[in-house]
Amino acid sequence: MTVIDPSPRQAERLGPLDELDTPEPLEALFGDPADPGNPVGHQAFVDADERGDFLPAGRKTLESFGIGAEFVPRALGGRLGQADDLARVLRTVFRHDGALALGLGAINLIASSTVWAAGDAGQRRWLASVLLDNHPTAGAITELAHGDDLSRTRLRATEREGGVVLDGRKEVINNVARAHAVTVLARTSEEPGSRSHTLFLVDPAAVPRERMRFLPRYRTSGMRGTHLGGVEFLDCPLPASAAVGGYGDAMETILRCFQVTKSVASGAALGMVDTMLRTVVDFGTQRRLYGRSVTELPYVEAELADVFTDLLICDAMTTTACRALHVLPRQTSVYAAATKYLVPEIEQHAADRLALVLGARSFLREGPHAAFQKHFRDLPVAALAHSGATVCLATIIPQLPRLARRSWFTSSAPEPALFQLGRPLPDLDFGQLEANAGPDDQIVATLLDVGQDRVTDPTLRTLCGRLVDELRILRDGWRALAPRNRTPFAGPVGFELAERYAVVLAASACLGVWWHNQDHPNPFMRDTAWVVSALDRLTVRLGHEPLPQAQSATRQVFAELLSRHAEHRAFDLIGRRLH
Amino acid sequence: MATSAPAPGTRIVDREEIRSKLLSLVASYLEQPVTDIQSDVKLVEYGLDSIFALTLCGDVEDEYGIEVKSTLAWDHPTVDAITDHLYDTLTAEA
Ligand SMILES: Cc1cc2nc3c(=O)[nH]c(=O)nc-3n(C[C@H](O)[C@H](O)[C@H](O)COP(=O)(O)OP(=O)(O)OC[C@H]3O[C@@H](n4cnc5c(N)ncnc54)[C@H](O)[C@@H]3O)c2cc1C
Repeated sequence: MTVIDPSPRQAERLGPLDELDTPEPLEALFGDPADPGNPVGHQAFVDADERGDFLPAGRKTLESFGIGAEFVPRALGGRLGQADDLARVLRTVFRHDGALALGLGAINLIASSTVWAAGDAGQRRWLASVLLDNHPTAGAITELAHGDDLSRTRLRATEREGGVVLDGRKEVINNVARAHAVTVLARTSEEPGSRSHTLFLVDPAAVPRERMRFLPRYRTSGMRGTHLGGVEFLDCPLPASAAVGGYGDAMETILRCFQVTKSVASGAALGMVDTMLRTVVDFGTQRRLYGRSVTELPYVEAELADVFTDLLICDAMTTTACRALHVLPRQTSVYAAATKYLVPEIEQHAADRLALVLGARSFLREGPHAAFQKHFRDLPVAALAHSGATVCLATIIPQLPRLARRSWFTSSAPEPALFQLGRPLPDLDFGQLEANAGPDDQIVATLLDVGQDRVTDPTLRTLCGRLVDELRILRDGWRALAPRNRTPFAGPVGFELAERYAVVLAASACLGVWWHNQDHPNPFMRDTAWVVSALDRLTVRLGHEPLPQAQSATRQVFAELLSRHAEHRAFDLIGRRLH
Repeated sequence: MATSAPAPGTRIVDREEIRSKLLSLVASYLEQPVTDIQSDVKLVEYGLDSIFALTLCGDVEDEYGIEVKSTLAWDHPTVDAITDHLYDTLTAEA
């Protein structure tokens, strides 16, 4: 067992908006990714991807940073306090390599959050020590045969002779063969329904070797370095103390914890698109066609500005979802799932357009732009790895009719701290999260509070007017929806309304972030250009024509993109220097 | 939080009314005649599993102006069981 030394691990983080010329400590460890001699640069990660393995130097970088502590609550000696801080740390890793970020990063949150939420003091202490030692962990939740339909889980846990016996298998599980701690979802009653499952915390070193067998690795098209494996338990005995929380509690625990994992994972994965955009701007500023650089072609300029705007939209939505876990924990069942649906959609579309700009080079597995094709393959895998789009929409469909009936145009705006990037929040409290959302959608209330009552810029007012109209249509649409369309058998109409809701939610988050960060050190973030562009793009998603007045905003966004690119700054709401 | 339901104390709680309200809710989700729904059959048998519990919990809260756990339909898996639970909650409040 590790002796917990609180001094370095408890070190204060740089405030998100403080000293924006200073790179984050982890980013500094990665250094300049474009330097071909950098042992953790793009070239090294591309080579590791070709070999289908984690880059050993990348793993060492994460270990020297003490990545495991990021997942351990501060009360247990780690650094996990705020969900948006964790998302930004993981975003740094995603900027460099998706396989590393998922397999040695995000997966630890999926594996551990259920234990922080429902485990006893002994389990929490033990798992904290595993992570603080930077050992890998795994979460064996889904089964290949049942996908996201967790209630059909077959792996069985039976009480026997004062202990428990596990029997069954889990497949497509990240890092399971290397993990020092595994959380396992098991069936503990044959009754159908959602009270028949229990989570167990397994120490693979403590179970009889012949009772726990690892299955061959699965190879994947993207995230090739991840070790997706399987595990089979053959009447494998565990102590009774391995149960995490009460018998029958697993589905509820998972519904609560996955709000955290979905929000954080969505915010983290933006790092991949950041790198893709950077790679394409590198290319576009260097390559000359028709006597000018590619980025000077008006079409390319607009495409790149749009992708940067998309990244700002995604960051506003994910950061707000993460902070809502602290500020509006009763509502996040809807926010997390809407975010996990919309953000990967926007990212994929952005990546597709970037690939067109990069042209032939988007396929090349070598050379200065090779990082692009790797991230391009990794992105869709990351999007699916933890609840795909459809399943996220299916989670919010049953909940939206009630928000339409009880909350929209009624709820009041949230406290500004929700949006204030530099404002610290109380540590994450899993006990506050609820399996379904209460009727109090305060993020969308921001659309009325800021968009209707405070905005004076005429272009922005027009865009907000469109969004308020949309909210009205959504309210009427959800109220009129046949009850069947709010159940697991919902038809396409429910899905479309849910998609449109997610767009309005994203727009509300952009408005909240813009309005409540007028102390941002970068004047660009205080100005209206980015939020005009963001709302213009989101209303186009709802079927509107782009607003002609928004075009000058696009040019400002493009100028900011070029200056951030030249200064090696992140393409997100913060804009910190990367190296 | 504003609610349209009558204040506790002014309501006369009737177990059969609760049961028939719930039966018609379930029938409406399934788009089946209410006579096809049996109050002692588990809701999961009708295909209404985990996510559905969320719908039912919201509808029940709004109908009766009370707060129930989101896992209402998991812990009380039939219409009869939910009826008894709501009856107890509502009479305790009245
Ligand atoms: C790289 C990677 C890493 C992974 N790591 C892990 C891990 O570490 N641990 C772990 O437990 N699992 C892991 N998984 C498994 C992953 O969580 C599952 O793949 C995921 O849950 C989706 O399951 P599925 O693709 O089998 O989809 P299914 O659930 O089989 O769904 C298939 C399709 O049906 C549709 N659908 C499903 N539900 C609904 C609904 N309610 N309404 C309408 N349509 C619906 C959707 O279109 C969906 O895509 C990993 C997967 C990948 C790719």
